Amino acid sequence: MATMKFMCDAERCIECNGCVTACKNANEVEWGVQRRRVVTLNDGEPSEVSISVACMHCDDAPCIAVCPTETLYQRDDGIVLHDKDLCIGCGYCLYACPFGAPQFPKQNAFGERGKMDKCTFCAGGPAETKEEEYQKYGANRIAEGKLPLCAEMCSTKALLAGDAQEVADIFRQRVVQRGHKDGGWSGNPRADADSLAYDATQQG
Amino acid sequence: MRLTPKSDTPRASGLGISRRQFLQRSGATTGGLAAAGFMGAPMMQRAEAAEKTAWSDAPVETKRTVCSHCSVGCGVYAEVQEGVWTKQEPAFDHPINRGAHCAKGASLRQHGHSSRRLKYPMKLVGGEWQRLSWEDAIEEIGNKVLALTEQHGPDSIYWLGSAKFNNEQAYLMRKFAALAGTNNTDHQARICHSTTVAGVANTWGYGAMTNSLNDIQNSRSIMFIGSNPSEAHPVAMQHILLAKERSQAEIIVVDPRFTRTAAKADSYVRLRPGSDVAFIWGLLWHIFENGWEDSQYIDQRVYAMDQVREEVATFSPEVVENITGVPEETMRDTARRLAENRPGCIVWCMGGTQHTTGNNNTRAYCILELALGNIGKSGGGANIFRGHDNVQGATDLGLMSHSLPGYYGLSEGAWKHWAGVWDLDYEWLQSRFDQNEYVDGKPMHSSGITVSRWIDGVLEQEEDISQRTRLKAMFYWGHAVNSQTRGPEMQKAMQQLEMMVIVDPYPTVAGVMHGRQDGVYLLPAATQFETTGSVTATNRSIQWRDQVIEPLFESKPDHEIMYLLSQKLGFSDELFKNIKVEGTEPLIEDITREFNAGMWTVGYTGQSPERLKEHQQNWHTFSFRDLKAEGGPADGDYYGLPWPCWGTAEMGHPGTPILYDTSKKVSEGGLTFRARFGIERDGENLLADGVFSRDSDLEDGYPEFTDTMLKDLGWWDELTDAEKTAAEGKNWKTDLSGGIQRVAIAHECAPFGNAKARCNVWTFPDPIPKHREPLYTSRRDLVKDYPTWPDVTSHYRLPTLYRSIQEQDVTGKYPIILTSGRLVEYEGGGEETRSMSWLAELQQEMFVEINPALANDLAIAEGDMVWVEGAEGGRVRVKALVTPRVAPEVVFMPFHFGGMFQGESLHDRYPEGSAPYVLGEAANTATTYGYDSVTQMQETKCTLCRIEKAS
Amino acid sequence: MSMSMMHAGAARRLLTLLVLLAGLVLSQLALAQQADPGREAAFAVPAVDAELWRQVKEGETGPNYRDSRAESTYNLVNTSGETWRQIRERWVSPFGAIAVLGMMAAIVLFYLMVGRKHLDEPRTGRKLLRWSLVVRSLHWTVATLFILLAITGLNLAYGKTLLRPLFGDGAWSAMMSGTKLIHNYLGPLFGILLVILLLRLLSHNIPKAHDLQWFAKGGGLVGKGHPDAGFANGGEKVWYWLLATAGLAVIASGFVLDFPNYGQARDTMQWAGIIHAVGALGLTAVALGHIYIGTVGTEGSLEGMTTGYVDESWAKEHHNLWYDEVKDQAIPEDQLAEHRQASQGDEPAPRSG
Repeated sequence: MATMKFMCDAERCIECNGCVTACKNANEVEWGVQRRRVVTLNDGEPSEVSISVACMHCDDAPCIAVCPTETLYQRDDGIVLHDKDLCIGCGYCLYACPFGAPQFPKQNAFGERGKMDKCTFCAGGPAETKEEEYQKYGANRIAEGKLPLCAEMCSTKALLAGDAQEVADIFRQRVVQRGHKDGGWSGNPRADADSLAYDATQQG
Repeated sequence: MRLTPKSDTPRASGLGISRRQFLQRSGATTGGLAAAGFMGAPMMQRAEAAEKTAWSDAPVETKRTVCSHCSVGCGVYAEVQEGVWTKQEPAFDHPINRGAHCAKGASLRQHGHSSRRLKYPMKLVGGEWQRLSWEDAIEEIGNKVLALTEQHGPDSIYWLGSAKFNNEQAYLMRKFAALAGTNNTDHQARICHSTTVAGVANTWGYGAMTNSLNDIQNSRSIMFIGSNPSEAHPVAMQHILLAKERSQAEIIVVDPRFTRTAAKADSYVRLRPGSDVAFIWGLLWHIFENGWEDSQYIDQRVYAMDQVREEVATFSPEVVENITGVPEETMRDTARRLAENRPGCIVWCMGGTQHTTGNNNTRAYCILELALGNIGKSGGGANIFRGHDNVQGATDLGLMSHSLPGYYGLSEGAWKHWAGVWDLDYEWLQSRFDQNEYVDGKPMHSSGITVSRWIDGVLEQEEDISQRTRLKAMFYWGHAVNSQTRGPEMQKAMQQLEMMVIVDPYPTVAGVMHGRQDGVYLLPAATQFETTGSVTATNRSIQWRDQVIEPLFESKPDHEIMYLLSQKLGFSDELFKNIKVEGTEPLIEDITREFNAGMWTVGYTGQSPERLKEHQQNWHTFSFRDLKAEGGPADGDYYGLPWPCWGTAEMGHPGTPILYDTSKKVSEGGLTFRARFGIERDGENLLADGVFSRDSDLEDGYPEFTDTMLKDLGWWDELTDAEKTAAEGKNWKTDLSGGIQRVAIAHECAPFGNAKARCNVWTFPDPIPKHREPLYTSRRDLVKDYPTWPDVTSHYRLPTLYRSIQEQDVTGKYPIILTSGRLVEYEGGGEETRSMSWLAELQQEMFVEINPALANDLAIAEGDMVWVEGAEGGRVRVKALVTPRVAPEVVFMPFHFGGMFQGESLHDRYPEGSAPYVLGEAANTATTYGYDSVTQMQETKCTLCRIEKAS
Repeated sequence: MSMSMMHAGAARRLLTLLVLLAGLVLSQLALAQQADPGREAAFAVPAVDAELWRQVKEGETGPNYRDSRAESTYNLVNTSGETWRQIRERWVSPFGAIAVLGMMAAIVLFYLMVGRKHLDEPRTGRKLLRWSLVVRSLHWTVATLFILLAITGLNLAYGKTLLRPLFGDGAWSAMMSGTKLIHNYLGPLFGILLVILLLRLLSHNIPKAHDLQWFAKGGGLVGKGHPDAGFANGGEKVWYWLLATAGLAVIASGFVLDFPNYGQARDTMQWAGIIHAVGALGLTAVALGHIYIGTVGTEGSLEGMTTGYVDESWAKEHHNLWYDEVKDQAIPEDQLAEHRQASQGDEPAPRSG
């Protein structure tokens, strides 16, 4: 079964924020909550690099581990979803998440944070009707056989989303093109010359 | 169940915190502790829970459209349910963008449905906005125009049009102004790439991007000078990064700022603003020195390179370093990279064009590529990235004060040509204009006032303006005002006008900065998603847009508004003589057909509505590498039939993907350099020398085709009888049958001749481009050797100052260089994009970029509010962003903000519910005088300022 | 040496040479095949170098760090989150459960084996005022709050494992919402009241020399007779000081967690969470002991905290030093009602060390 993952190729990310607004377009999350963010390190310096980050749908998700109400859960295809009905707004998922993916609409006294919201890999969430699903979680593109809109709309195809193996393959092709003729697999005991055959002069 | 369009709930007014992260949160919230803080004041002002678009199971209609923000021309699938635009899908099969979008394209759906739109016509009465009906608005405005025309002549009205019109609307606007009897019309190209068009067209024939974004994938080197595609044309970066990855292309960025494009470059060169010509000559110095130029190419296809050599010889490495700040080693290294990696191209945008010497800059760029032999090749080219989505189209369709559609100019011949196309009596047309003669000549044949100078058209002494009176009324039709310089004077000019009419989907800064009590009208125009029509992308491809939704609220498409106004003004019959009007809405396809019938100069004749629609429906059949359709209904065509698409639609020319490409047959998209400047000069041949396009029957240079030439060649009888009748006494530009073009192409000859590109434009102030210091320069020591021009008595009807401004040394009070530019989240004047919450959230505050060293000198910390005062006294209060992006002597401000003026918020001057989410100072409130010597382009890329911390 | 042998020798030498050569070539190949992550990374994403990796790993947000999320102070990767998760899930949670359950088991065992501590001497019927109305009110309020907070706290920590299967999904959501509301709103109240109570009882709980003796004798479990004790015995003082240290830590961390509106960083919250959990679970465990001793475990103790008065014999046995100071103020049982009336039940409890 496919394992769904994101990958942002920092070599191509130009901080255009297309992914950020694409997510808004698909999910219409309110002002102040941005499921996806673009981080730039060394802004304005020669080593400037940008990367787009949202929920990474980790295999061993810390957020799932620490959530007291089992709001977060992982599907067979690796997508981590959340159930807003169960969320009590305690904030633990946010503390555990390395990427700062969970967001809360408020931050008030007595720990009133409202319901957590985070990237759903455009796979919606648990709800009775499609209408309810859209209101609470945004789009369910996965159910329509599509991929998250952020990756689909990335201006330079920096952000990739989909089956981890395919995403890895795409990235490996780029690595080869960028000059690493081994395809980044040096040291891989399963590698042999034929299976790595990729003619970098082939434009494809 | 009928879906009602859901809107974003208006956000509470006020500024939030910028994504560029100025405030540390502790600083913001300690104040809130005592009062509301304890019970948890929200971190920042939040909207009431925004309503989402309602979910619907209604059937989905998929419409094909094109993003309306920049000129890359990204394809979009708009999904509509019951008339509401509910979803946006990426167009993976679109040949230009393959589904990709930047922040603006990805949020396009909100453009159609923003709740901050102007909803109905309004008029300012006693300082308050009052609603009125369309009928009343047209009646009142029309009456005023008629009265002013009667009293002061037709030139007293300024019809400022838009790069956001589709082609049909742009064309119609130009025709409208003509029939209204004035050349006082213009659009954003003037302040964007006017110097490009003038400089490039005068070098080799056409002033447009020579290759395409897709073709850039084939470049081995790409030099960006004054261009930042990572922010201004992000989807173009897809092609550029593919070149970098697949062909290991050298990316060189030359810019005063270390831009986001520079972050992806192999080599970054920091340049002093305004020293482009010196830089290019510096490169050529090394190229000539090392013999890296393409001598054969120059001999065959370029005129006057020797004169360039002479000029370049005075730009030794020391001189270049002194002027530009770039050391010798870097210059040589850059030149070497370009020389060793061909074919390569040059890309420039506002950084190169927006100078008093813009026309010199653009020609220098062209000359560089000519010297390297890069023009007319796949992977080469002068790749000009245009700005707004249809600025290329609006330029081509002639919405400018100095020309007519197709760049025919304003001569009698040009007017007669168009009178013929319009099926109007030339004398009648002539009678519409002021018959008197002024310094510039007769108004019908003299260039009108430009958008960059309209304020002087109001404020200047009447006797110094080359028309009867000052401007009395102005239409701001789809054009922001905060993109033009000299804000404080602009406010004065607005107050002196008798009427302002703003026709726009949003109120715009013009609606609020005037400080008037009355005499201002707001007419709600529909966006490009509420109408249909064609749009021309930067690579000259023309794309057709479906109508996505019906006009919202009471807005009307621009061409309908033109119809209603023309009706009131009494020339609608003439304006729409051959254009069907259904109710009050002109039929778009008829307009397309009309300009198809007349634009022979640039080859807008083959792109009939039917062919364009076929391309749109079959955009998946066009290749991502070279835009050619292999198989399918448009087999053999290039996507969008990039102009010139010669001859009639029946002839079926496939479009010209790469200009001046002699490796192809003309009938298959090949081309030569245009023979526009004569056959010889000073005894030297101006026509091509032994080089010609593939399979050409004329195997050498040849002039442009006329009826006489056809007769001399013995090809005259290949015309049909009907064609002969039309072509008699005409040339390839004025033969309305298209026969001359057809026959020329049948012999694989370019209708416009086969000439050399010229490095010497003898009609320009500087025939060979020269370096001249900006009007406001911090290098007083260079003014003596590289002064600007003397003042001009009348240019585009107005006196234009140069030396009298440059002579004054203001560096004591204004020591810092100020430059301006773009952000990826916003476009142009910004009212549109700042009215979309998804974009506005990302850039919530206006700012100025200051280098850390300069910040320390001025005792300014990141997040401080500062006053930036321009050299003419205009001041803006903005937030300081301390970053090493800019050099210590340069500061940068984005120009997209508006709604605040010299520290004061104009929020309450907006009609209720239509203020943008984000307001800010307009950078151009602080910018200064300075206009290009050929096109009146404004000098917004280098002026001087002072900065101090605001209390 | 025969010709063939010479040939054989030569052949052998040749073979050796070939083998050596082959070995050399193969080893070169092997070397070339070795993974070189740095070099690979340099090709994969040339823009990202060692310095950048260091910045990311250390969660740096220097002056040129930008985040498109408005008002965000988040770094790119917050590695402390996983550390916190490990500490919480692998250490604090399991050991906390062990502590609480273990204490429960220990108490049950103790009760079964040792049983209730009855009074050595029979009651005299003369009562001493030990706890005033104010203290009693405070104590019971604080105690109730503690229990509620403990239960809801345990629910937040362990509920999903134990109770969700029990409750079923329908009630789960409502129950957890209620749990959080109770815990977050009552917490600050508990904190404030506990501090007041602690201040009130401070003078009784100053450690003295005789307390060491009390511990040496296991509070009276070891050997015969009772060790010396003042108003509060050694054990009670330990409980007091546990509350005054761990308890205050729990309260302080609780406030940090409960009022995120002051913009606490995630790392701060992680630390506060650990302190809160460790402290609270520990206190819960010890509280079980306190509850046992104060109710079932010791005859005569509970009535002191309910009525305010204790019997003389209880006082003499468990708090002899205090008894010596206040024995003159003993009131016979039958006069208790009138006495209470006159003083309105709120006279300050007699003080001693």
